[in-house]
Amino acid sequence: MITIKDQQEVLVKISKGISKEITAYTIGGTAMMFLGLKDSTLDIDIVFTSEEDRSAFKKAVKTLGFEDMDSAIVYGKRDNCPDMVKLPDSRIDLFLNEVISFIFSKNMQARAKEIHQFGNLILKVADVHDLIIMKCATNRIKDKDDILKIIKNSQINWDILADEAEHQLSLGKEQAVLSLGTLLEELNNNHNVEVPKQVLDKLWNLLEKQIRSKKKLRKG
Amino acid sequence: MQHLIMKERNIDLAIRIEGINTVETIKKELNVNRARAIYLLYRLRKEGFVITKRNSVGKRIYYISPKNAIGGTSYVEILNQNSPIKMVTSEVHKIYGGKPSIEETLIHFINKKDIRYLISVLALFRKIKNWHELYHLAKENEILREVGALYDVARQVIPKIRKMPKRFQNNALPKGNVHYKYIVDKFQSSDFKAIEKKWKVFIPLNLADLEEYKR
Repeated sequence: MITIKDQQEVLVKISKGISKEITAYTIGGTAMMFLGLKDSTLDIDIVFTSEEDRSAFKKAVKTLGFEDMDSAIVYGKRDNCPDMVKLPDSRIDLFLNEVISFIFSKNMQARAKEIHQFGNLILKVADVHDLIIMKCATNRIKDKDDILKIIKNSQINWDILADEAEHQLSLGKEQAVLSLGTLLEELNNNHNVEVPKQVLDKLWNLLEKQIRSKKKLRKG
Repeated sequence: MQHLIMKERNIDLAIRIEGINTVETIKKELNVNRARAIYLLYRLRKEGFVITKRNSVGKRIYYISPKNAIGGTSYVEILNQNSPIKMVTSEVHKIYGGKPSIEETLIHFINKKDIRYLISVLALFRKIKNWHELYHLAKENEILREVGALYDVARQVIPKIRKMPKRFQNNALPKGNVHYKYIVDKFQSSDFKAIEKKWKVFIPLNLADLEEYKR
Protein backbone atom coordinates (compact mmCIF):
# COMPACT_ATOMS: atom_id res chain seq x y z
CA MET A 1 0.00 0.00 0.00
CA ILE A 2 1.13 3.55 -0.75
CA THR A 3 0.45 6.04 2.02
CA ILE A 4 0.10 9.82 1.64
CA LYS A 5 3.70 10.26 2.77
CA ASP A 6 5.04 7.56 0.40
CA GLN A 7 3.14 9.04 -2.51
CA GLN A 8 4.55 12.49 -1.84
CA GLU A 9 8.11 11.22 -1.47
CA VAL A 10 7.94 9.22 -4.70
CA LEU A 11 6.48 12.12 -6.66
CA VAL A 12 9.09 14.57 -5.33
CA LYS A 13 11.86 12.14 -6.35
CA ILE A 14 10.36 11.61 -9.81
CA SER A 15 9.95 15.35 -10.37
CA LYS A 16 13.69 15.83 -9.90
CA GLY A 17 14.30 13.80 -13.04
CA ILE A 18 11.86 15.82 -15.16
CA SER A 19 13.53 18.65 -17.04
CA LYS A 20 10.55 20.42 -18.61
CA GLU A 21 7.14 21.26 -17.17
CA ILE A 22 4.62 18.43 -17.45
CA THR A 23 0.93 18.69 -16.61
CA ALA A 24 -0.95 15.48 -15.91
CA TYR A 25 -4.09 14.43 -14.07
CA THR A 26 -4.47 12.17 -11.06
CA ILE A 27 -7.43 9.83 -10.85
CA GLY A 28 -8.56 6.94 -8.65
CA GLY A 29 -7.07 6.43 -5.21
CA THR A 30 -4.31 8.98 -5.82
CA ALA A 31 -6.87 11.70 -6.47
CA MET A 32 -8.88 10.59 -3.43
CA MET A 33 -5.77 10.89 -1.27
CA PHE A 34 -5.17 14.45 -2.49
CA LEU A 35 -8.82 15.22 -1.73
CA GLY A 36 -8.46 13.87 1.82
CA LEU A 37 -10.84 10.97 1.26
CA LYS A 38 -8.35 8.12 1.57
CA ASP A 39 -5.14 7.47 3.43
CA SER A 40 -3.60 4.81 1.22
CA THR A 41 -3.87 3.34 -2.24
CA LEU A 42 -2.61 0.33 -4.16
CA ASP A 43 -1.20 2.34 -7.03
CA ILE A 44 -0.62 5.85 -8.31
CA ASP A 45 -2.88 6.56 -11.30
CA ILE A 46 -1.88 9.35 -13.65
CA VAL A 47 -3.46 10.41 -16.95
CA PHE A 48 -1.26 12.21 -19.50
CA THR A 49 -2.54 14.17 -22.45
CA SER A 50 0.53 13.68 -24.62
CA GLU A 51 2.82 10.74 -25.31
CA GLU A 52 5.79 13.09 -25.02
CA ASP A 53 4.88 13.94 -21.42
CA ARG A 54 4.27 10.31 -20.56
CA SER A 55 7.65 9.31 -21.98
CA ALA A 56 9.42 12.07 -20.06
CA PHE A 57 7.73 10.91 -16.86
CA LYS A 58 8.56 7.28 -17.55
CA LYS A 59 12.18 8.14 -18.19
CA ALA A 60 12.38 9.92 -14.84
CA VAL A 61 10.66 7.05 -13.06
CA LYS A 62 13.03 4.48 -14.48
CA THR A 63 16.06 6.32 -13.08
CA LEU A 64 14.59 5.56 -9.63
CA GLY A 65 14.66 1.84 -10.32
CA PHE A 66 11.05 1.33 -11.42
CA GLU A 67 10.62 -1.48 -13.92
CA ASP A 68 8.07 -2.01 -16.67
CA MET A 69 5.16 -4.25 -15.82
CA ASP A 70 2.68 -6.07 -18.03
CA SER A 71 -0.65 -4.27 -17.69
CA ALA A 72 -2.57 -7.44 -18.63
CA ILE A 73 -1.70 -8.83 -15.17
CA VAL A 74 -3.90 -6.18 -13.58
CA TYR A 75 -6.29 -5.07 -16.31
CA GLY A 76 -6.58 -8.23 -18.41
CA LYS A 77 -7.11 -7.81 -22.14
CA ARG A 78 -9.06 -4.58 -21.93
CA ASP A 79 -8.77 -1.56 -24.18
CA ASN A 80 -6.73 1.48 -23.24
CA CYS A 81 -4.67 -0.20 -20.56
CA PRO A 82 -2.01 2.02 -19.05
CA ASP A 83 1.74 1.67 -19.24
CA MET A 84 2.73 0.35 -15.85
CA VAL A 85 5.91 0.66 -13.83
CA LYS A 86 6.59 -0.87 -10.44
CA LEU A 87 8.90 -1.13 -7.49
CA PRO A 88 8.50 -3.99 -5.00
CA ASP A 89 6.21 -1.85 -2.83
CA SER A 90 4.58 0.59 -5.24
CA ARG A 91 3.07 0.73 -8.70
CA ILE A 92 2.35 3.59 -11.06
CA ASP A 93 -0.26 3.34 -13.85
CA LEU A 94 0.37 5.79 -16.68
CA PHE A 95 -2.71 6.35 -18.85
CA LEU A 96 -2.75 8.33 -22.06
CA ASN A 97 -5.97 10.30 -22.67
CA GLU A 98 -8.16 7.24 -22.13
CA VAL A 99 -8.88 5.35 -18.93
CA ILE A 100 -10.13 1.87 -19.80
CA SER A 101 -13.77 2.56 -20.82
CA PHE A 102 -13.62 6.35 -20.71
CA ILE A 103 -11.90 9.23 -22.43
CA PHE A 104 -10.39 11.78 -20.08
CA SER A 105 -12.31 14.47 -21.92
CA LYS A 106 -11.60 18.19 -22.24
CA ASN A 107 -14.54 18.78 -19.86
CA MET A 108 -12.93 16.50 -17.28
CA GLN A 109 -9.64 18.34 -17.73
CA ALA A 110 -11.36 21.67 -17.22
CA ARG A 111 -13.08 20.44 -14.06
CA ALA A 112 -9.77 19.35 -12.51
CA LYS A 113 -9.05 22.50 -10.50
CA GLU A 114 -6.84 21.38 -7.60
CA ILE A 115 -3.15 21.65 -8.43
CA HIS A 116 -0.33 19.82 -6.66
CA GLN A 117 3.04 20.85 -7.99
CA PHE A 118 6.15 18.73 -7.59
CA GLY A 119 8.90 20.78 -9.26
CA ASN A 120 8.30 20.45 -12.97
CA LEU A 121 5.55 17.91 -12.46
CA ILE A 122 2.16 19.58 -12.18
CA LEU A 123 -0.59 17.22 -11.11
CA LYS A 124 -4.20 18.27 -11.36
CA VAL A 125 -6.70 16.30 -9.33
CA ALA A 126 -9.70 14.96 -11.23
CA ASP A 127 -13.01 16.33 -10.03
CA VAL A 128 -15.11 14.13 -7.72
CA HIS A 129 -17.78 13.73 -10.41
CA ASP A 130 -15.23 12.35 -12.83
CA LEU A 131 -13.82 10.02 -10.19
CA ILE A 132 -17.31 8.54 -9.82
CA ILE A 133 -17.71 8.18 -13.58
CA MET A 134 -14.36 6.46 -13.99
CA LYS A 135 -15.03 4.14 -11.09
CA CYS A 136 -18.51 3.16 -12.21
CA ALA A 137 -17.39 0.74 -14.90
CA THR A 138 -14.98 -1.36 -12.85
CA ASN A 139 -17.39 -3.58 -10.87
CA ARG A 140 -14.94 -3.89 -7.96
CA ILE A 141 -16.39 -3.78 -4.46
CA LYS A 142 -13.71 -1.40 -3.25
CA ASP A 143 -14.61 1.03 -6.03
CA LYS A 144 -18.23 1.00 -4.93
CA ASP A 145 -17.08 1.81 -1.38
CA ASP A 146 -14.97 4.65 -2.77
CA ILE A 147 -17.95 5.99 -4.72
CA LEU A 148 -20.11 5.93 -1.58
CA LYS A 149 -17.38 7.72 0.34
CA ILE A 150 -17.11 10.42 -2.34
CA ILE A 151 -20.88 10.91 -2.40
CA LYS A 152 -21.08 11.08 1.38
CA ASN A 153 -18.33 13.68 1.68
CA SER A 154 -18.81 15.88 -1.37
CA GLN A 155 -21.54 17.96 -2.92
CA ILE A 156 -22.63 16.04 -5.97
CA ASN A 157 -24.24 17.75 -8.90
CA TRP A 158 -26.01 14.80 -10.52
CA ASP A 159 -26.49 16.71 -13.76
CA ILE A 160 -22.71 16.86 -14.25
CA LEU A 161 -22.60 13.06 -14.09
CA ALA A 162 -25.41 12.63 -16.62
CA ASP A 163 -23.97 15.29 -18.93
CA GLU A 164 -20.52 13.71 -18.85
CA ALA A 165 -21.97 10.27 -19.62
CA GLU A 166 -23.75 11.80 -22.60
CA HIS A 167 -20.51 13.49 -23.64
CA GLN A 168 -18.62 10.20 -23.36
CA LEU A 169 -21.25 8.61 -25.58
CA SER A 170 -20.72 11.33 -28.17
CA LEU A 171 -16.99 10.55 -28.01
CA GLY A 172 -17.76 6.93 -28.89
CA LYS A 173 -17.65 5.40 -25.42
CA GLU A 174 -20.77 3.30 -25.60
CA GLN A 175 -20.58 1.81 -22.11
CA ALA A 176 -20.68 5.15 -20.33
CA VAL A 177 -24.44 5.68 -20.09
CA LEU A 178 -25.22 2.08 -19.18
CA SER A 179 -22.48 1.87 -16.52
CA LEU A 180 -23.48 5.14 -14.89
CA GLY A 181 -27.19 4.40 -15.09
CA THR A 182 -26.71 1.00 -13.48
CA LEU A 183 -24.55 2.45 -10.73
CA LEU A 184 -26.96 5.28 -9.92
CA GLU A 185 -29.93 2.89 -9.88
CA GLU A 186 -28.07 0.64 -7.46
CA LEU A 187 -27.08 3.54 -5.22
CA ASN A 188 -30.66 4.73 -5.25
CA ASN A 189 -32.17 1.33 -4.49
CA ASN A 190 -29.65 -0.28 -2.15
CA HIS A 191 -27.60 2.43 -0.52
CA ASN A 192 -30.06 5.18 0.40
CA VAL A 193 -28.49 7.66 -1.97
CA GLU A 194 -31.09 10.05 -3.32
CA VAL A 195 -30.46 10.38 -7.02
CA PRO A 196 -32.91 12.82 -8.68
CA LYS A 197 -35.45 10.99 -10.82
CA GLN A 198 -34.94 13.28 -13.81
CA VAL A 199 -31.24 12.32 -13.89
CA LEU A 200 -32.08 8.60 -13.95
CA ASP A 201 -34.73 9.24 -16.57
CA LYS A 202 -32.28 11.18 -18.70
CA LEU A 203 -29.77 8.32 -18.56
CA TRP A 204 -32.35 5.65 -19.47
CA ASN A 205 -33.68 7.83 -22.31
CA LEU A 206 -30.15 8.17 -23.62
CA LEU A 207 -29.71 4.42 -23.40
CA GLU A 208 -32.97 3.79 -25.28
CA LYS A 209 -31.86 6.21 -27.97
CA GLN A 210 -28.51 4.45 -28.14
CA ILE A 211 -30.20 1.04 -28.55
CA ARG A 212 -32.56 2.35 -31.20
CA SER A 213 -29.76 3.87 -33.26
CA LYS A 214 -27.78 0.62 -32.98
CA LYS A 215 -30.78 -1.36 -34.23
CA LYS A 216 -31.20 1.05 -37.13
CA LEU A 217 -27.55 0.64 -38.02
CA ARG A 218 -27.86 -3.15 -37.99
CA LYS A 219 -30.95 -3.08 -40.18
CA GLY A 220 -29.39 -0.57 -42.54
CA MET B 1 -20.85 3.30 20.84
CA GLN B 2 -17.53 4.37 22.38
CA HIS B 3 -16.13 0.97 21.52
CA LEU B 4 -17.12 1.40 17.85
CA ILE B 5 -15.48 4.82 17.65
CA MET B 6 -12.23 3.42 19.04
CA LYS B 7 -12.25 0.86 16.19
CA GLU B 8 -13.04 3.40 13.46
CA ARG B 9 -10.20 4.08 11.03
CA ASN B 10 -8.41 7.35 11.67
CA ILE B 11 -9.18 8.76 8.22
CA ASP B 12 -12.91 8.05 8.61
CA LEU B 13 -12.89 9.61 12.04
CA ALA B 14 -11.08 12.68 10.70
CA ILE B 15 -13.61 13.02 7.87
CA ARG B 16 -16.46 12.66 10.41
CA ILE B 17 -15.26 15.50 12.66
CA GLU B 18 -13.57 17.56 9.93
CA GLY B 19 -13.42 21.27 10.76
CA ILE B 20 -12.69 23.48 13.75
CA ASN B 21 -13.03 21.65 17.06
CA THR B 22 -12.32 21.86 20.77
CA VAL B 23 -12.20 18.91 23.17
CA GLU B 24 -15.78 19.77 24.15
CA THR B 25 -17.12 19.71 20.59
CA ILE B 26 -15.40 16.36 19.97
CA LYS B 27 -16.92 14.97 23.18
CA LYS B 28 -20.34 16.09 22.04
CA GLU B 29 -19.98 15.03 18.42
CA LEU B 30 -18.70 11.55 19.18
CA ASN B 31 -20.52 11.10 22.46
CA VAL B 32 -17.34 10.12 24.34
CA ASN B 33 -15.81 11.22 27.63
CA ARG B 34 -12.97 13.75 27.89
CA ALA B 35 -10.20 11.16 28.20
CA ARG B 36 -11.32 9.35 25.05
CA ALA B 37 -11.71 12.62 23.14
CA ILE B 38 -8.11 13.50 24.04
CA TYR B 39 -6.91 10.03 23.06
CA LEU B 40 -8.70 10.26 19.68
CA LEU B 41 -7.09 13.65 19.10
CA TYR B 42 -3.72 12.08 19.88
CA ARG B 43 -4.41 9.35 17.33
CA LEU B 44 -5.42 11.83 14.63
CA ARG B 45 -2.46 14.10 15.40
CA LYS B 46 -0.08 11.18 14.91
CA GLU B 47 -1.46 10.79 11.37
CA GLY B 48 -0.95 14.49 10.69
CA PHE B 49 -4.67 15.28 10.54
CA VAL B 50 -4.66 17.88 13.35
CA ILE B 51 -3.33 21.44 13.46
CA THR B 52 -3.49 22.95 16.95
CA LYS B 53 -3.77 26.66 17.61
CA ARG B 54 -4.77 28.67 20.67
CA ASN B 55 -7.54 31.25 20.78
CA SER B 56 -7.33 34.65 22.48
CA VAL B 57 -7.89 33.16 25.95
CA GLY B 58 -5.35 30.37 25.46
CA LYS B 59 -7.85 27.59 24.79
CA ARG B 60 -6.71 24.92 22.33
CA ILE B 61 -8.50 24.92 18.98
CA TYR B 62 -8.05 21.90 16.71
CA TYR B 63 -8.27 22.17 12.93
CA ILE B 64 -9.03 18.62 11.89
CA SER B 65 -8.86 17.49 8.27
CA PRO B 66 -7.31 14.56 6.41
CA LYS B 67 -5.97 17.20 4.02
CA ASN B 68 -3.65 18.45 6.77
CA ALA B 69 -1.56 15.30 6.29
CA ILE B 70 -0.90 16.11 2.65
CA GLY B 71 1.44 18.95 3.61
CA GLY B 72 2.97 21.12 0.91
CA THR B 73 2.96 24.91 0.79
CA SER B 74 0.62 27.07 -1.22
CA TYR B 75 1.39 30.40 -2.87
CA VAL B 76 -1.40 31.97 -0.81
CA GLU B 77 0.31 30.85 2.41
CA ILE B 78 3.54 32.55 1.29
CA LEU B 79 1.58 35.66 0.33
CA ASN B 80 -0.23 35.78 3.67
CA GLN B 81 3.02 35.33 5.59
CA ASN B 82 4.53 38.34 3.85
CA SER B 83 1.70 40.75 3.14
CA PRO B 84 -0.42 42.74 5.60
CA ILE B 85 -3.41 42.23 3.30
CA LYS B 86 -4.38 38.59 3.80
CA MET B 87 -6.14 36.57 1.15
CA VAL B 88 -8.64 33.76 1.51
CA THR B 89 -9.17 31.41 -1.38
CA SER B 90 -10.84 28.10 -2.10
CA GLU B 91 -8.33 27.47 -4.85
CA VAL B 92 -5.79 24.72 -4.15
CA HIS B 93 -2.30 25.02 -5.59
CA LYS B 94 0.23 23.27 -3.38
CA ILE B 95 3.94 22.97 -3.90
CA TYR B 96 5.99 20.06 -2.58
CA GLY B 97 9.69 19.41 -2.16
CA GLY B 98 10.53 23.02 -1.29
CA LYS B 99 8.92 26.36 -0.59
CA PRO B 100 8.26 28.73 -3.47
CA SER B 101 10.43 31.85 -3.23
CA ILE B 102 9.01 35.35 -2.76
CA GLU B 103 10.06 36.07 -6.34
CA GLU B 104 8.14 33.05 -7.68
CA THR B 105 5.12 33.98 -5.56
CA LEU B 106 5.13 37.54 -6.90
CA ILE B 107 5.23 36.36 -10.52
CA HIS B 108 2.56 33.73 -9.84
CA PHE B 109 0.08 36.32 -8.58
CA ILE B 110 0.84 38.96 -11.22
CA ASN B 111 0.10 36.25 -13.80
CA LYS B 112 -3.29 35.68 -12.18
CA LYS B 113 -4.40 39.13 -13.37
CA ASP B 114 -6.74 39.50 -10.40
CA ILE B 115 -7.00 42.92 -8.78
CA ARG B 116 -7.41 41.57 -5.24
CA TYR B 117 -4.18 39.62 -5.52
CA LEU B 118 -2.38 42.53 -7.21
CA ILE B 119 -3.18 44.77 -4.23
CA SER B 120 -1.95 42.20 -1.72
CA VAL B 121 1.12 41.23 -3.71
CA LEU B 122 2.58 44.76 -3.75
CA ALA B 123 3.90 44.14 -0.23
CA LEU B 124 6.13 41.35 -1.54
CA PHE B 125 8.38 43.93 -3.21
CA ARG B 126 9.60 44.72 0.29
CA LYS B 127 10.90 41.17 0.65
CA ILE B 128 12.60 40.80 -2.72
CA LYS B 129 16.23 39.84 -2.27
CA ASN B 130 17.04 38.05 -5.49
CA TRP B 131 16.41 40.61 -8.23
CA HIS B 132 18.27 38.41 -10.66
CA GLU B 133 15.74 35.58 -10.14
CA LEU B 134 12.84 38.03 -10.36
CA TYR B 135 14.20 39.41 -13.64
CA HIS B 136 14.52 35.97 -15.19
CA LEU B 137 11.11 34.80 -14.03
CA ALA B 138 9.48 38.01 -15.28
CA LYS B 139 11.25 37.69 -18.63
CA GLU B 140 10.24 34.06 -18.96
CA ASN B 141 6.61 35.01 -18.30
CA GLU B 142 6.85 38.11 -20.50
CA ILE B 143 5.75 40.43 -17.71
CA LEU B 144 8.91 42.51 -17.21
CA ARG B 145 7.13 45.83 -17.73
CA GLU B 146 4.26 44.80 -15.46
CA VAL B 147 6.70 43.96 -12.66
CA GLY B 148 8.50 47.28 -13.14
CA ALA B 149 5.26 49.26 -13.10
CA LEU B 150 3.86 47.50 -10.02
CA TYR B 151 7.19 48.02 -8.25
CA ASP B 152 6.91 51.77 -8.83
CA VAL B 153 3.34 51.73 -7.48
CA ALA B 154 4.49 49.80 -4.43
CA ARG B 155 7.29 52.34 -3.81
CA GLN B 156 4.68 55.11 -3.68
CA VAL B 157 2.47 53.48 -1.06
CA ILE B 158 4.60 51.08 0.98
CA PRO B 159 7.55 52.33 3.02
CA LYS B 160 11.00 50.70 3.15
CA ILE B 161 11.01 49.06 -0.25
CA ARG B 162 14.57 48.55 -1.45
CA LYS B 163 15.72 50.25 -4.63
CA MET B 164 15.41 48.24 -7.77
CA PRO B 165 18.85 47.56 -9.25
CA LYS B 166 19.66 49.92 -12.14
CA ARG B 167 20.36 46.96 -14.39
CA PHE B 168 16.89 45.49 -13.80
CA GLN B 169 15.25 48.81 -14.57
CA ASN B 170 17.33 49.48 -17.69
CA ASN B 171 16.64 46.05 -19.10
CA ALA B 172 12.96 46.09 -18.22
CA LEU B 173 12.03 49.58 -19.43
CA PRO B 174 10.26 49.64 -22.79
CA LYS B 175 12.46 50.58 -25.70
CA GLY B 176 11.34 52.19 -28.93
CA ASN B 177 7.78 52.28 -30.08
CA VAL B 178 5.96 49.79 -27.91
CA HIS B 179 2.24 49.51 -27.34
CA TYR B 180 0.61 49.91 -23.96
CA LYS B 181 -0.22 46.63 -22.20
CA TYR B 182 -3.04 45.87 -19.81
CA ILE B 183 -2.32 43.93 -16.61
CA VAL B 184 -6.03 43.35 -16.17
CA ASP B 185 -8.03 43.79 -19.35
CA LYS B 186 -9.73 47.20 -19.77
CA PHE B 187 -8.57 48.49 -16.37
CA GLN B 188 -6.42 51.58 -16.13
CA SER B 189 -5.46 54.02 -13.41
CA SER B 190 -6.29 57.63 -12.95
CA ASP B 191 -3.73 58.11 -10.15
CA PHE B 192 -0.62 56.46 -11.58
CA LYS B 193 -0.52 58.03 -15.04
CA ALA B 194 3.23 58.82 -14.85
CA ILE B 195 4.08 55.22 -14.04
CA GLU B 196 1.80 54.00 -16.81
CA LYS B 197 3.61 56.29 -19.24
CA LYS B 198 7.06 55.22 -18.03
CA TRP B 199 6.41 51.48 -18.37
CA LYS B 200 3.77 51.59 -21.10
CA VAL B 201 1.54 49.47 -18.90
CA PHE B 202 -1.97 50.28 -17.73
CA ILE B 203 -2.16 49.86 -13.98
CA PRO B 204 -5.48 48.48 -12.73
CA LEU B 205 -5.20 50.26 -9.37
CA ASN B 206 -5.92 53.67 -7.91
CA LEU B 207 -4.66 55.17 -4.65
CA ALA B 208 -8.01 54.47 -3.00
CA ASP B 209 -7.53 50.73 -3.62
CA LEU B 210 -4.32 50.86 -1.60
CA GLU B 211 -5.72 52.67 1.46
CA GLU B 212 -5.14 49.62 3.65
CA TYR B 213 -1.38 50.00 3.29
CA LYS B 214 -1.59 53.44 4.91
CA ARG B 215 -3.26 52.17 8.10
